Amino acid sequence: MTEQEKPRLAEEMEEMEYEPLLPVEKKLIIWSITLGVVLLGVLTWVSYTFFPVP
Amino acid sequence: MASLRPLLKSEDWMSLWIGLLIFALSLGLLVGVDILGWAVKTNVWVTVGQALQPVSEGYSGLGGGPSLVFTFVFLLVLMTAAARGLEANIPRFMLGFTVIFLVSYVCWFLGHYAYIAATPDKLEALGIGWSMNLTGEAGYILALLAGLVVGNFFPKTAERIAEGTKPELFIKIAIVVMGLGLGVKAVDALDLASAVIFRGLCAIVEAYLIYWAVVYFVARKYFKFSKEWAAPLASGISICGVSAAIATGGAIRARPIIPIMVSSLVVVFAVVELVVLPFAAKTFLYHEPMVAGAWMGLAVKTDGAAVAAGAITDALIRAKAMDALGVEWVEGWILMATTTVKVFIDVFIGVWAFILAILWVTVIDRKPGEKVRMVEIWERFPKFVLGYILTFVATLTFCIMVPDLLEAVKAASSEANVFRQLFFAMTFFAIGVVSNFRKLWEEGIGRLAAVYVICLFGFIIWVGLVISWIFFHGITPPVVAG
Repeated sequence: MTEQEKPRLAEEMEEMEYEPLLPVEKKLIIWSITLGVVLLGVLTWVSYTFFPVP
Repeated sequence: MASLRPLLKSEDWMSLWIGLLIFALSLGLLVGVDILGWAVKTNVWVTVGQALQPVSEGYSGLGGGPSLVFTFVFLLVLMTAAARGLEANIPRFMLGFTVIFLVSYVCWFLGHYAYIAATPDKLEALGIGWSMNLTGEAGYILALLAGLVVGNFFPKTAERIAEGTKPELFIKIAIVVMGLGLGVKAVDALDLASAVIFRGLCAIVEAYLIYWAVVYFVARKYFKFSKEWAAPLASGISICGVSAAIATGGAIRARPIIPIMVSSLVVVFAVVELVVLPFAAKTFLYHEPMVAGAWMGLAVKTDGAAVAAGAITDALIRAKAMDALGVEWVEGWILMATTTVKVFIDVFIGVWAFILAILWVTVIDRKPGEKVRMVEIWERFPKFVLGYILTFVATLTFCIMVPDLLEAVKAASSEANVFRQLFFAMTFFAIGVVSNFRKLWEEGIGRLAAVYVICLFGFIIWVGLVISWIFFHGITPPVVAG
């Protein structure tokens, strides 16, 4: 690939088509964050209960 | 023979073999054979004559200069053999590696100048009244700066040494070797080591689930990126830079150009983080050293920059604590927190890419006939991590089972550590060389960089700090005895 043929970042950005955020994507994002927050509580409890600071 | 080829032809596998070779050679001390004792150790110095010496007393007659030459020749031969396996252009690799070694070593040497490096407890012995208290790790910063100068102002030189400029290979070798040192440290504080390892695992579970989702949402919703761009971008910014962006790009079948562009952005911003965050940690987190270490692992992207940031943070915070709190913590524990977090992140990249691949194929971007294979988890698993786990677990187990040889293992660890430090220094220089700010700017970095800056400095760094605080606050490294 020559220098001229290499896609430039700016061109790539311009060519990008708009895709609205799909409901399924929203659902996955919410699930991921919710799971993260719930696990934060669980893992903090496990850490402090079973792996206490010596 | 053909089936063995992948074991030699990827940087990942190669770093594992080289790291294990150095590990094995250093263990010659266990049977009374000092194989690596001639390697050059760099001391904090006031006069040049104090700076260099062989790491082992047994080779003290050798002198510092020859010791440095032996170290260079050994590494040149070793790395050239590796380059041959990787099918690099050998003459160009040898030239590149030689330049990288020499410049990195000069920086490492200068960083040990007493007025830069000496900690308060060493001032009297060195006969000086003040110092910048940066420890010898200041050499890493010098190497990074030198690399940035070469990469941005001398592009032809950067191109000439490009064949030898392999920051990821260097840092992965260093991480494999580091397992030995951390294993020895863990023997003295098993409860602490297990707490750090488990909490490191917890921290990255949180990072994956929260970081990725938020960055993906911001990129899609507010910056209008397509799915093909947003997913590798989210992985690159939120998880582990280059490897995560590439793995995600592969998982969602993005065009190869996208993870490559994201990667070049990640590398450049990692340098900014590498320069800023350790000093911020030194200023604000010196009383919470393990929080600082984990924070580097969670916030700084790319293996090289993250572990390098951990090394600097380790040095800076220990020096600051000695000065401000009057306590001397054992070297390496802060770096261990960084490395643990980073290694777990690496381990999970394959799993995360697999999950994304399934989600993309089944719900987000359904295409008829596409299937995801379980073997992709293994294919994306970072193999050098196996080396790190092996050296760490083998050392820890051996020291527990044969405590009489603990001192010999500690000596072996000191010898291997010489090479770990040199690979770190070369990583810093190489990171600088490949971080071409100017080129990225010319290519039209704008919108991509805006997502990066907003997510990284507005969200990731702070959430990473909170997660690190939750799991690591109140934990301090063991205090140096005596």
